[in-house]
This record gives sequence, structure tokens and C-alpha cells, in this order.
Amino acid sequence: TKTSKACQGLHRSGGYSKARMEYHHVSAKNGVADENQNAEKLSHIEKAYTTILSELGEDVKREGLLRTPLRAAKAMQFLTKGYKETIQDILNDAIFDENHEEMVIVKDIDLFSLCEHHLVPFFGKAHIAYLPNKKVVGLSKLARIVEIYSRRLQVQERLTKQIASAIAEALEPAGVAVVIEAVHMCMVMRGVQKMNASTVTSVMLGSFNDNAETRKEFLALTMQK
Amino acid sequence: MDHSKQTQYSQNEKKDAGASSSVLNGHFDGMAKRPAGGTGRAATAAAAQPPGAESSSHRPAASVMESWREERTRSVEDNEMSLPSLAAAYTTILRGLGEDPQRQGLLKTPWRAATAMQFFTKGYQEKIIDVLNDAIFDEDHDEMVIVKDIDMFSMCEHHLVPIFGRVHIGYLPNKRVLGLSKLARIVEIYSRRLQVQERLTKQIAVAITEALQPTGVGVVIEATHMCMVMRGVQKMNSKTVTSTMLGVFREDPKTRDEFLTLIRS
Repeated sequence: TKTSKACQGLHRSGGYSKARMEYHHVSAKNGVADENQNAEKLSHIEKAYTTILSELGEDVKREGLLRTPLRAAKAMQFLTKGYKETIQDILNDAIFDENHEEMVIVKDIDLFSLCEHHLVPFFGKAHIAYLPNKKVVGLSKLARIVEIYSRRLQVQERLTKQIASAIAEALEPAGVAVVIEAVHMCMVMRGVQKMNASTVTSVMLGSFNDNAETRKEFLALTMQK
Repeated sequence: MDHSKQTQYSQNEKKDAGASSSVLNGHFDGMAKRPAGGTGRAATAAAAQPPGAESSSHRPAASVMESWREERTRSVEDNEMSLPSLAAAYTTILRGLGEDPQRQGLLKTPWRAATAMQFFTKGYQEKIIDVLNDAIFDEDHDEMVIVKDIDMFSMCEHHLVPIFGRVHIGYLPNKRVLGLSKLARIVEIYSRRLQVQERLTKQIAVAITEALQPTGVGVVIEATHMCMVMRGVQKMNSKTVTSTMLGVFREDPKTRDEFLTLIRS
């Protein structure tokens, strides 16, 4: 698979500093948003939603829908706020030198994202583990990394890889593992309409990839209900 | 047609509807509308429309109008005609969010999202009469009939974000029974719209009442609102439960208890 080739590439190239964040097609700039530009964008999106409502056959003047374009536009902006955030902003202060080399797992991180193909939510849980190499990260920062990448128009495979790469770049640990189990509304609410199907993707880097025992330990600790 | 039973419903509905007397006019005309200022959620909007002036807000609005009337706001042809402008709107949204609509993953997204949205609101294309006409049978049965755990997917009309959950329907037939899957089809017609959970519950109950004139109908919906889970207050585990009890389900506590117990188990 593409992911395992990338992992092998990481390994052979001698470390995680070479990991390319190739999917960062939208780069966050200074983090300071231009207020006017934001308001203008919001009103464009709002007008688009008004068009959508009337094209769907609804009455845009009825009470329940009067402010829906604005609410929907703001909701959409919230659901894609990950584009404006950078890893550096949230991580810089929370990396600590700690003489710990055993597995650290943060599991059952609730995750909500938007399918980039249908603009319909998918949600589930992320389980993250890493083997520190003298540097540990504040635990909530792992959840924040998930937030940054999930609040975007996403594809579950890419989301998993971005989270793993971010942790690998920031901490240079001996190994990183990320598993995401999610339900895709685009499959449940429409299309094939399979209520109970869920999608599981995983990325194993470093020792998690090389060492079957490490991987087994991680999976046993996270996937058992 | 048992007119006395219909009057009985109308009295109950009047109690429920409060000031909104235009709901019934003495018989069940099936207008499933929220009473003005009822839930207080749109408090400012409701204040601007005093209950008596209900008629001014009476533009035939798709989701308010009952499908029993021969009105449909959309047809399959309309769908095809709207697709280009819907897709253009979605392209604008993508750009407004800072994304690049030309990248590979997003190239056909406006079309996919537009078709998806049309699917999520396909209830506007359908009429109850089409779905039900053949499946009402005369059957000498007057015990409770329950269809529960009907998966339901709808769209919040305030944020355009999914709502999903389960619907439980029970009714006491009065010599007429309905094909069981038709209950689920009624749920589909009303849920595949821009909805408010309270209204959805009531529309389903009213449709069944109009179709069958049963002794009583009970509808309970338990749903999760993504607008509360994914954004805003972000409460992952919260659920909203609404119910509509009509006829003997409302009058007789024992019947209601039986219904509620049976849907729990």
C-alpha cells in the first residue's frame, strides 16, 4: 500500500525529519486572519447556502430557515477550522524531556470530520500510541493534533497519515501508531445505506511497523472492548 | 368515517396547539405546524408574528405543508434542472472555506455534494398518497401494532447538518391496518427534509391518523443531532427524545404505558 511504502521510505531515509507533509496543500499563514476577508468569505458562503435552499425546493422565507444560510455558513467554517491552525502553535510548549521509553497510548479520542467527496460528516474514534525517545508530549496535545487535521475536508486514509506524520515530526519517537475507526454518513445516509458499516484505517511507523510484538501490544490495549 | 373520533382528536390537538386554532378548524386537516412561539426557540421570530396573524406566515412552505394535499414542491425533472446551480453554490462554498476546488479530491465534489443534498431532501418529491394507497387493509384487529427501531436520517433545518436516530411507531387500528413497511416509508418521506425533530414527530403521527383513522397513534423519536455533537456545545452523548401521542394513546395512561414499555424492551 501507499502508506507502507511511505513508512519504508521514512525508515530507509534515516528518520522522521525527512517525513514530507505532502498533503499540506493549504498552509496556515501567520494565524492572524484578516477580519474583512473573513467577513467577505462568510457572506459568499451564506449566499451560496441561500441558493442551495431555494434550489432544493424549500421556502427561504419561512421562519425556521430565515437565518439558516448564516448558521450553516458558520457551522461549515467551524467544521473546517483545522485549515487555519498549525501544529507549531499547539505543540511548541508542551514537549518535555522525560526518560521514558515505554508505550504511551491515548485512545478513544472522539473525532469528527467532513468527507471531502460529499461534504457529509464522518465520525468515530482515534487511538494513538507512540514510543518516546526521551521526549514526551502533553497528552491533550495528541487530541489537539487530531482536531487540527480532522476539522478539514478529509479522506480517512490521509487523516490517519497526517496525524502519524505530525507526531513523528514533532517528537522523533521510536515509533508511532494511529488507528481510526469511523462511520461515514455518506455510506449510511445515502448511497449503499449500510447502517452498521465502519471503516478502520491505521498507520504504523517505526517500531510499530518493524516489531510485531509492539504492534500486538498496541492493538490489544486499544481495540479490546 | 367515524366523525366523532376525529372530533376527539381535534379537541386534543387544540389543547396541544394552544393558541393556534387554525390547525384544525374542527377537523383534522392534517396541518402539522408548530404552535406560534410554542417551543420558544425562535423566540424573536415568534414575537414578530402574533399567534393570530398565523395566516401571514401561511405561504405554502414545503416542510410545513402536509403531503396529503396534492402539492409537491419538487419533481425529478426539477432535480436535474437545479443541479448546475447547486454545484456552483457548492464550488463557492469550497472556495470560501479556503480550499482549492481544482485539486483531485475536490474536482467533482460540488456535483456529488449537490446530488447528496438532493437525496437528503428527497422527501419533498414524494407524496404520502403515492406510498400508501394500496396498502390499507380491512382487518378485524384492535390490538396495538408497533413498529420500532426504524432508523431515521434527517437534516437539521437550522444548520444543514445531519440528525439521525430511531423512530418507534405504535397505533391501535380501528378495523383498518397498514402495511408495516409503509410506516417506515412515512418516516422516510418526512425525515428526508429540512426538519425540526418536534415537527417530524408530529407529521408522522398526523399522516398515520389521516390514513387509517385509528383509535390512537403514538410516535417516539430518539435522535442525535450532529449540530450539537460536532459543533456548538459539543456534547457527544446527548440524545433528543420527542413524542406525539394521539387519541387513546393520549387519553389512556395504560395504553401509553404499554406502548412505552414495549418500545423500551
